[in-house]
Amino acid sequence: MIFLDRPGYNAIIKLLPDFEKRTGIKIKYQIVPYENTREKEELDFSSNGELTVALVDLVWIGEFAEAGWIVPFEEIKKKYPDIIDPNFDINDFIPLILNAFGTWQGKVYGPPFDNYSGLLYYNKDMLKEAGFDKPPETWDELINTYAPKLTKNSKYAFALQSRRGETQSCDSFMRFLWPWGGSLLDAKFHSNLGNPKSQEGLNFRQSLEKYMPPGIVDYDHSDAVNALAQGNVAMITEWSAFYSTLVDPKSSKIVDKLGVAPEPKGPDGRKPALGGFSLAVASQANDKQKAAAWLFIQWATGKEIGKQYVEAGGISGRQSTYKDPALLAKYPFIQPMLDSWQQGVPEYRPRFSEWSKLTDIIAEWGTKMMLNQVSVKQGSDEIGTRTEAVLKDAGYYDGKKPLAQ
Amino acid sequence: MRKSGRALRTRSEARLSGKGKLMPIRAVPRKTYSNGVIFFLAPAVIVLLAVGIFPLLFAVWNSMHEFILSRARIYALHGQPFLWFQNYLGLVNDAGFRESLFRTFVFLLINLPIQLVLGLLIALLLHKVGHEWLKNICRVSLVIPLATTLAVVGLMGRLMFNSSFGVVNYAVATVISLFHSIGPLLQGHFQVLHGFWRHVVPSNMIDWLGNPNLAFATVSIMDCWQWTPFCALVLLSSLTLVPPEIEEAAKLETDRWWQVLWRVQLPFMLPGITAILILRTADILKMFDVVYTMTQGGPGNATDLISVYVQRVGFRQVDQGVASAQAIVLLIITIILSRIYIRYFYREI
Repeated sequence: MIFLDRPGYNAIIKLLPDFEKRTGIKIKYQIVPYENTREKEELDFSSNGELTVALVDLVWIGEFAEAGWIVPFEEIKKKYPDIIDPNFDINDFIPLILNAFGTWQGKVYGPPFDNYSGLLYYNKDMLKEAGFDKPPETWDELINTYAPKLTKNSKYAFALQSRRGETQSCDSFMRFLWPWGGSLLDAKFHSNLGNPKSQEGLNFRQSLEKYMPPGIVDYDHSDAVNALAQGNVAMITEWSAFYSTLVDPKSSKIVDKLGVAPEPKGPDGRKPALGGFSLAVASQANDKQKAAAWLFIQWATGKEIGKQYVEAGGISGRQSTYKDPALLAKYPFIQPMLDSWQQGVPEYRPRFSEWSKLTDIIAEWGTKMMLNQVSVKQGSDEIGTRTEAVLKDAGYYDGKKPLAQ
Repeated sequence: MRKSGRALRTRSEARLSGKGKLMPIRAVPRKTYSNGVIFFLAPAVIVLLAVGIFPLLFAVWNSMHEFILSRARIYALHGQPFLWFQNYLGLVNDAGFRESLFRTFVFLLINLPIQLVLGLLIALLLHKVGHEWLKNICRVSLVIPLATTLAVVGLMGRLMFNSSFGVVNYAVATVISLFHSIGPLLQGHFQVLHGFWRHVVPSNMIDWLGNPNLAFATVSIMDCWQWTPFCALVLLSSLTLVPPEIEEAAKLETDRWWQVLWRVQLPFMLPGITAILILRTADILKMFDVVYTMTQGGPGNATDLISVYVQRVGFRQVDQGVASAQAIVLLIITIILSRIYIRYFYREI
């Protein structure tokens, strides 16, 4: 199977020997950068390669499921009834993330494994100096009250990772649609960017830009996290997984000044960025491998190792894991993350297979917007027409494909 | 048949004369080879077939089919729909493809002359007599950029040109503070200079990778850094081909170095220059690693060169058919350009 070089995977690698000793199953894994993961898995699946466990990013689930590359949970249950752990309890997973990461068109494919929510990280000292003793509750507050006071002497109030790529489309562009009540697509899958609410969100992003460091369109995750860690910006909205980077004295100067809160609310509520990976059994595996793959998945997302997994740096998707008050006290990011998961939207990014085309369109025109090469209106129109062309080709408008995202 | 009636002496001359009918050439008795030679040639030919010819033919096959990886299980076995040249025709209407092709040519037209001229200057300097050990050090150090992995060059560029903690902006800031300290000596001139500088660069933090034009320039700088030494080395070796007595005689005739360069040295360099033109053109058309690691084609699409575009179509949108068609178009362009270069630049002495 494929792992990424992220805390959740390092955590499971740490725990692996125990699993291998107990079951005698040997897990062979390869660590791949995120940007190449999908390409690698697709090449493997389409050529009947050797992957037995699929690592499924929430935006790939539609594609993988439709291509028939992953096996639904129901089928596994039917085929191997005696290896399903009676304690597995699929309903123990937080409903939003099970629905978003592991479910496509009502069918569960696999349990969520590496789970993220967008969070607001802030520098307590910088906020205090500017006269604030708590983080902003709404985006409106952030831009009108907090940002002007926090931007001075080459320090900036906010950094928004916006580099061209998934970073732009997911972390920057989409983040400013949902909380304003906007969205990429309407119910009939036509572009909804022309909607005044979507426009309001995108315009908000433009006006927030003056409180961000120059060159923000080239900021990737690591740049934004660094900017906060080095004390150059006061607030960022980043994935929960970066908590461990920000509290590591080797990479952060603000270990004891770090504050974590849920993302600010927009006019339409919180609706924070949502992302994560589920694990599913690959259809190309033989029967024996399939059973072994399921045993691994069941163990890796199971109740027993939930706490160990969190302590090793992972983020469990199980409600039962977080019943332990000691754990919540030790990791202050967990509570805001659980709060975020109460209100997120599963289709924060559409999860159909056409997303891989849409993300490139949004990445291109979204950065052009931020550079003021095109106006927000022009950019939205361009994204809109191109998106509709892609979706028309795919057959969403003539009923060939169900409107599922 | 030439008018002079001079007999053609060799086969190659006969072939080169082109238009006229060939004079019958007395067959040179063919050398016979033993069967063993096949075994010596076979490995090279097989490897070439496996890694060169077969993938090429496969790409041609792909380019005429609809071949989207995520639909692989939907197609029957080897049942990808055959589209004739539809993928190619689609490229004509693909604005993104045209734009990045155009951008790639702009990149080529800016960078290739710079690299050639700088390379020529370095080669001429190293060709001068004297300072032997210094020249040896230079020659060795010229190889370092060439030996650096492309992706590493991109990552280095990303770090060096980082706007908040990159070494380039640090150097800029140092130069500016130096100016400030000697400012009073320059009196009135300083204000003018400073005003001009501030007009060009509003703050000390130059936003190398975040500004579309600067990002394009930055990628160009890294490309020049890596490939100018290559031009220098090729031209230097061409310079050593000039027979010393001719060069000396020329230097006695005139003391203008450019006359020597233009009339004596340049003709010897033409094969080298042609090689550089062909290789650099092909390299820039397939330039991927540096751009991908440095900017991913952004910001906007300021550095979206053609290979980055093709990779995106082929491996992110997993449309192998269209991507193969694009790659074949690139191949044809490269071949045409190479033929043109050979036609107009290549001369043998």
